[in-house]
Amino acid sequence: MAFPLLSLIVFIPAAGAAVLMLLRNDDQVRWTALGVTVLDFALCIVMLAGFDTTTHEMQFTETRPWVPALGITYALGIDGISALFVFLTALLGWICVLASWVAIDRKVKEFMVSLLAMQALMLGVFCALDLFLFYVFWEAMLIPMYVIIGVWGGDGRVYAAFKFFLYTLAGSLLFLIGVIVLYFHGGETFDIRALMAQDLPFRVQSWLFFAFLIAFAVKVPMVPVHTWLPDAHVQAPTAGSIILAGVLLKMGAYGFLRFSLPMLPEASLYYSTLMLSLSALAIVYGGLLALAQDDLKKLVAYSSISHMGFVTLGIFTLNLRGLEGGILQMFNHGVTTGALFLFVGLIYERTHSRSIADYGGLMKAAPVYTAFLALFTLSSMALPGTNSFVGELLVLSGAFAANLAVGAAAVLGALLGAAYLLGMYRKVALGPASIGVRFKIRDVNARELVAILPLAVFVLWVGLYPKPFLNIIGPSVRHLLTQVHSNGGGQ
Amino acid sequence: MTAATLFQSILASLPEIVVVTGACVLLILGQLVPKGQGHFLVWASAATVLVAALATLLLAGEVRPAYSGMFIVDRFAVFFKMVFYLSTILTFLLSRKYAEIEEIASSEYYVLLLFALSGMMIMASATDLLSIYVGLELMALSTYVLTGFLRKERRSNEAALKYVVLGGVSTGIFLYGVSLIYGITGTTQLDGMAAAVTGDPLDPGLLLAVVFIVAGLVFKVGAVPFHMWVPDVYEGAPTTITAFMSVAPKAAGFAVILRVFLNPLVAASDAWIIVAVIAVVTMALGSFVALVQDNFKRLLAYSSIAHAGFALFGVVAGGADGIAGVMLYLLIYAFMNLGIFGIVIMMRNGDFSGEVIEDYAGFAKSHRGLALLMLLYLFSLAGIPPTAGFFAKFYVLVALVERGFVTLAVIAVLLSAVAAYFYIRIVMVIYMREPERAFEPALTPSVRATLALTAAGTIGIGLFPAWFLRLAQSSVFGG
Repeated sequence: MAFPLLSLIVFIPAAGAAVLMLLRNDDQVRWTALGVTVLDFALCIVMLAGFDTTTHEMQFTETRPWVPALGITYALGIDGISALFVFLTALLGWICVLASWVAIDRKVKEFMVSLLAMQALMLGVFCALDLFLFYVFWEAMLIPMYVIIGVWGGDGRVYAAFKFFLYTLAGSLLFLIGVIVLYFHGGETFDIRALMAQDLPFRVQSWLFFAFLIAFAVKVPMVPVHTWLPDAHVQAPTAGSIILAGVLLKMGAYGFLRFSLPMLPEASLYYSTLMLSLSALAIVYGGLLALAQDDLKKLVAYSSISHMGFVTLGIFTLNLRGLEGGILQMFNHGVTTGALFLFVGLIYERTHSRSIADYGGLMKAAPVYTAFLALFTLSSMALPGTNSFVGELLVLSGAFAANLAVGAAAVLGALLGAAYLLGMYRKVALGPASIGVRFKIRDVNARELVAILPLAVFVLWVGLYPKPFLNIIGPSVRHLLTQVHSNGGGQ
Repeated sequence: MTAATLFQSILASLPEIVVVTGACVLLILGQLVPKGQGHFLVWASAATVLVAALATLLLAGEVRPAYSGMFIVDRFAVFFKMVFYLSTILTFLLSRKYAEIEEIASSEYYVLLLFALSGMMIMASATDLLSIYVGLELMALSTYVLTGFLRKERRSNEAALKYVVLGGVSTGIFLYGVSLIYGITGTTQLDGMAAAVTGDPLDPGLLLAVVFIVAGLVFKVGAVPFHMWVPDVYEGAPTTITAFMSVAPKAAGFAVILRVFLNPLVAASDAWIIVAVIAVVTMALGSFVALVQDNFKRLLAYSSIAHAGFALFGVVAGGADGIAGVMLYLLIYAFMNLGIFGIVIMMRNGDFSGEVIEDYAGFAKSHRGLALLMLLYLFSLAGIPPTAGFFAKFYVLVALVERGFVTLAVIAVLLSAVAAYFYIRIVMVIYMREPERAFEPALTPSVRATLALTAAGTIGIGLFPAWFLRLAQSSVFGG
């Protein structure tokens, strides 16, 4: 068996978490956590360097028996789609550690342990090739995330943590039943690759589609099961918000890509109009809600709902441009919204206020901060030259090809995005400096800059030269499309 | 009965004989041991159990029917006996300090636990309704007394009295069912019953008999509608006894239920519909009522009702996977539930009772390791991977779906989402609140050992379930 690179990537953070438990000094804990996440990131770069972009097959695969009596294996592997998210998760990992450097000042050790545990589980979700293993990673994430929100969150943290936990749990338990049903219909195996090759009867596909939909829609989140998100985002500490927005929300969309589309192609085609409409609804509704927010974090949270609507929209256009755009937009949203949450966290550390009304004229007090804020705000509203432009353009062209009305609604949502983001930026950065804020603001320091810069690099890189990224996902997306359309019954 | 068959019978029941003899000897020795030498009793009792365990393992090689069809030693019985030994020994370890604090450390305490153990062992091996009854009563009578062991406390006395009265009624109902069965089939042996029925298996007389037997048995596992005793008894009994009762007698009840229900006669009478209804209602009641409990012991009582409901789903599923599912569930439940009870027992120190959930506010601040263990047990009880509690539920669900009971599986998971709420509420109290007092848990080496073992089981079976799964699957009778 080849060198178990993926196992190493997945379990290094877990091992790091175990080591952290033995340390006593807070600074030691911080540096160790940073070291572990940077090492993990370096391994991910090694992984990408060795990644073959000419094939859609799973790469770096490892298989070991786990529970042979039930056909459960420990199987890891990545294709183009998961490679991108493994990379994103590893990137945000050390940025989260940096973002929590001073923001978390009590129970530092427990926080970093939870963060690293979370990191390991998220990487596991994207690497798992066995449905049972996937489910274990997927569900186990609830424990550290619940603790992160509930212990280190804001004033309403307990309520937010409960809401997050119960919403996600209820969704994923139905998914579990779906998984077991799939197991018996698919020849008593949990092997994802084998299950993709099954041709299930349409009735079974429909039931499974909705069982999966509930789990994934809660995670994305799609309207109307989005209500946990604003609470969780607003109450979570900065690193928690970054993880939530950057990675957790992607898992719902990843679920659609990995399970719903290839395993249930007929149902995916049949219900695609429904999914497109729900996505369009999320885009417009999320945008309208964001327009009405005074709380910075809430604004970014609602904008997430709108942006994730673009992702699901792209996925369920079920054409090449839409899918590529959707997946690229998942990556972009992770970078951009992760950055925006980081920025809200930075300013909150200084002023302890998230109300937009408290700010104004920040440009004079913190020019570097506002310059980068401008970049990420423009990226979030998909200005040409930034990453989201590429993604949204692909999604929109796919959407217009699939359904005119839905495409029109999505454009409306994009306009709304420009309205609330520019409005936010104008109130916070421009105009006369508000008195309460002026004296407290300190510009970004070196540590914060280190966290911001890589995100800025990816904003421009994807925006100006998206080809390498599209190359990574290309073969897998094309393969996915043939799976959907050839098994989906001649539509 | 010839001497050879008698010898074979005695050999097959050797573990039971060891435990009963050990209990009798300790009863006498207990009077001679001077005060303050309590640990001698603990170690002697534990040694008795270990000897019995050794005997069980040595005899496990082959199936040994004994006492002309009343009794059998098969892998099924061996599996359950191992669960009983495990929970009894852990109860001994937990009791050591607790019994001193509560001033109940007399020899009778340990002797009664041993008698209860022997009753459960007989239940696991019984293949005749009458030997089931003997084991059931031996166990029940011992637990009645143990429940009332806090003689100076009203709650404990009240609980014992309630338990005796309700337990007596349920035994009467069970016996009435047995007499009906005997009247119709002319036998009380489980194997003989099915063969004796020639007519319609849905004969109303038979159905009535089955209903009565079901009623008698679900009482022991605390399922609705015979659950009323559980919260009061769990709350009133000494916490160590509560821990014991929530695990071992419940497992014994399930052993009997599995043997009786998967009998062809009962299987043919559509009794599974009754069990399915009982399972749904039990789990719903346990989960919803637990939501509003403030007392930790009462909460765990309702939680144990909910878990009994989930295990009953495995009985409904039946088949080799269903039976193995229930068995694995009970083994895992023993680990995680004794773990969480171990924490509650340990908290009882000085004038601090540790019985109210609010007492644990901010526990994580001063006792990180213990709080982490609580987190582990609670998430395992809630069924979140990668803990063993998840695998237990998962396997029962697999068995349900395999038999086509998808709706029941959906109901089961939705109710476990409800149940998850009250477990994570405790996590919230220990992690997200500020402490109001200093904690001084009675953390003796034996309690430490118990916690270490239960934690290892809870996380170990969760991560590496393969071996335990094979063990359960190979222990299914006739499968």
